[in-house]
Amino acid sequence: MVTVLIVDDHPSFRTSARRVLEDAGYQVIGEAHDGQSALAAARVLRPAVILLDVQLPDLDGFEVALQLTADEDAPAVVLTSSREGNEFGGLVAASRARGFLPKDEVSGPALAALLR
Amino acid sequence: MTGLRRALTTIGATALALGLITVPVALGSNHTNLRGLYLAEQLVIGWSFVGTGLFMWWRRPENRLGLLMTAVGFTWLLGILLATNDRYLFFLGELVAGLPYAFLVQMLVSFPDGHLHTRLERLVVAAAWFDVTIMQWAPLPFLQFPRSPHCESCPANPLLAANHMQIADALEKAQAVIAVTVLLGLIVALVRRWRGFPTVRRRSLAPVLWTGALALFVLIASLAAKLSGTESPSVDTIYLLGLLPLAAVPYSFLAGLMQSRFSRAGAVSELVARLSAAPERRRSLRDALADAFGDPSLMLGYWLPDREQYVDADGHRVELPRDAGRAWTPVQRNGAPLAVIVHDAALADECQLLTAAGAAAGLALENERLQAELRARVEELERSRQRLIEAGVAERRKLERNLHDGAQQRLVALSLNMRLARDRIADDPDGARELIVEAMGELESATAELRELARGIHPAVLSDRGLPAAVKALAARMPVPVSLVEMPPARLSPLVEIASYYVVAEALTNVAKYARATAAEVRITQSNGSVTVEVSDDGVGGADPEHGSGLRGLADRVGSLDGSLEVDSPARHGTTVRATIPCA
Repeated sequence: MVTVLIVDDHPSFRTSARRVLEDAGYQVIGEAHDGQSALAAARVLRPAVILLDVQLPDLDGFEVALQLTADEDAPAVVLTSSREGNEFGGLVAASRARGFLPKDEVSGPALAALLR
Repeated sequence: MTGLRRALTTIGATALALGLITVPVALGSNHTNLRGLYLAEQLVIGWSFVGTGLFMWWRRPENRLGLLMTAVGFTWLLGILLATNDRYLFFLGELVAGLPYAFLVQMLVSFPDGHLHTRLERLVVAAAWFDVTIMQWAPLPFLQFPRSPHCESCPANPLLAANHMQIADALEKAQAVIAVTVLLGLIVALVRRWRGFPTVRRRSLAPVLWTGALALFVLIASLAAKLSGTESPSVDTIYLLGLLPLAAVPYSFLAGLMQSRFSRAGAVSELVARLSAAPERRRSLRDALADAFGDPSLMLGYWLPDREQYVDADGHRVELPRDAGRAWTPVQRNGAPLAVIVHDAALADECQLLTAAGAAAGLALENERLQAELRARVEELERSRQRLIEAGVAERRKLERNLHDGAQQRLVALSLNMRLARDRIADDPDGARELIVEAMGELESATAELRELARGIHPAVLSDRGLPAAVKALAARMPVPVSLVEMPPARLSPLVEIASYYVVAEALTNVAKYARATAAEVRITQSNGSVTVEVSDDGVGGADPEHGSGLRGLADRVGSLDGSLEVDSPARHGTTVRATIPCA
């Protein structure tokens, strides 16, 4: 089973995303509410996939994505936001993330498509 | 006749009598060359100094120059005793012969205010006094005929201790060297003084300096002759002729005094002419005043009564100077402050001139004051417009944030949950129902948040039902009881209504957040073409409208409708916020 870490500062989204992904057969092994705790959780839990909100209360989500993907055996990072991906210009493409999912389109198949 | 005038008249009469008494003394002298010329010159110089000195003393009793000049004249007249054949009177003349020079040096160096300012000036005067007293008296015990070692016909010295020409010669040479040094120091001091003056004062100083310099040159020349040991009747003649510039000194002092009056009147009339020139040729009032007073650093501040401060022509604030080098003269018109002239401290004793110039420029000043007031107002408007724009941007950013964090997140969760419910409904109808119930809760919260946000953007109840209903709704949501004492009976214009509403909303928010009040009151009254919105509480007070963007933003909002906002908030005595908005 593919392990997932969900990073977002809104608890309602974390709950819903966990349900959606677990229903689709992913194993959600952790949640983080900001950039610092996301980096810490990633080191400890070593998830295969990180679903990362780009607007975090402490750090810039793109910066967090760069740090998370710095190592060779780094997890696959998928960015998410309640905004459209194209609102962020070229930042998504430059981030070393596998891709971008709008929050309301988060689903098992959509995630699998990006990870393939 | 005043006491001063009586005293001065007595001094004048004494000087006249003293001069007349010396006439037979001088004419009967058996050791004086050119007796007639000598006497005439001594009397002219002495009386000139006394006369002009008394006149200056009378016109400016607080200025020491009149006294010094009179003293020069008196001691000069006493010097005629050197012509006497009586050995004791002759000796007295010998004792006082140097004093007028010391008075003269002190007078020159302290023109025009009568005070010594620098160390050099004090040193020059002290050295002069030393030279005409100690150095003048030191050789006397060693000379048989003190007037001159070679004056065989002079009366004999009553104080003679030992006739020792070498000692006397050496002492006299030393005295002459000190005298030349004093005169050179005096020239340096005068040049420095002159340089320190603004142009307007230099003009009045010029005649004094020219005649003073000429007289000093003659004195140096005669002293140099004395040092070289030349002694002959022709030297006497040159000396007597050379003293003529000295006779001019008191008149030049008088001229200096008059000149400063003329230039005073001149400066003011020149100013008036400039002010009445055609507007396109007219330069700024500040430049005209700076020219008239020869003070390029001069600044003008215009009084703004509503701000209670001075501003320059561009509407920027002018601070009154505190350092010693600057001074200021206020200008009034009809008893009310109009402007302030900030100028060099050297102009401070031209106070009358400044006041006269201020009075002459009154109308022009009033004109420029109005312009400055307008510019200050424009500047304030620009600043408040800037703040309003910034507040608008901040407001929109906050709105975006609230939408993003609130309703939008709920709708995202709702969307995900609904999709889950759709996928589960066939296999797990109970789970699906649970998700739908949860989703409906999210939907309700999202609707409530959107409603709250919409009201923040614009209170619909205000436009639909008017100010009283909107204020009542506000009051109902407050944690402290709010009584609505008075409300306008009819609808106001939409802009006035919305501004009034925000005054009440912001003031009540502050009451709830900071005032620790037990009750608040709202009163909205309409009279004389304006609406007054007043919110008061019984809380801790101490609100400062300069700090905190809320009240500042309110002031800008009210200001944009030409209204004004007052905050009265003494510590521990509650707060009253009062906005007055024109609504004609």
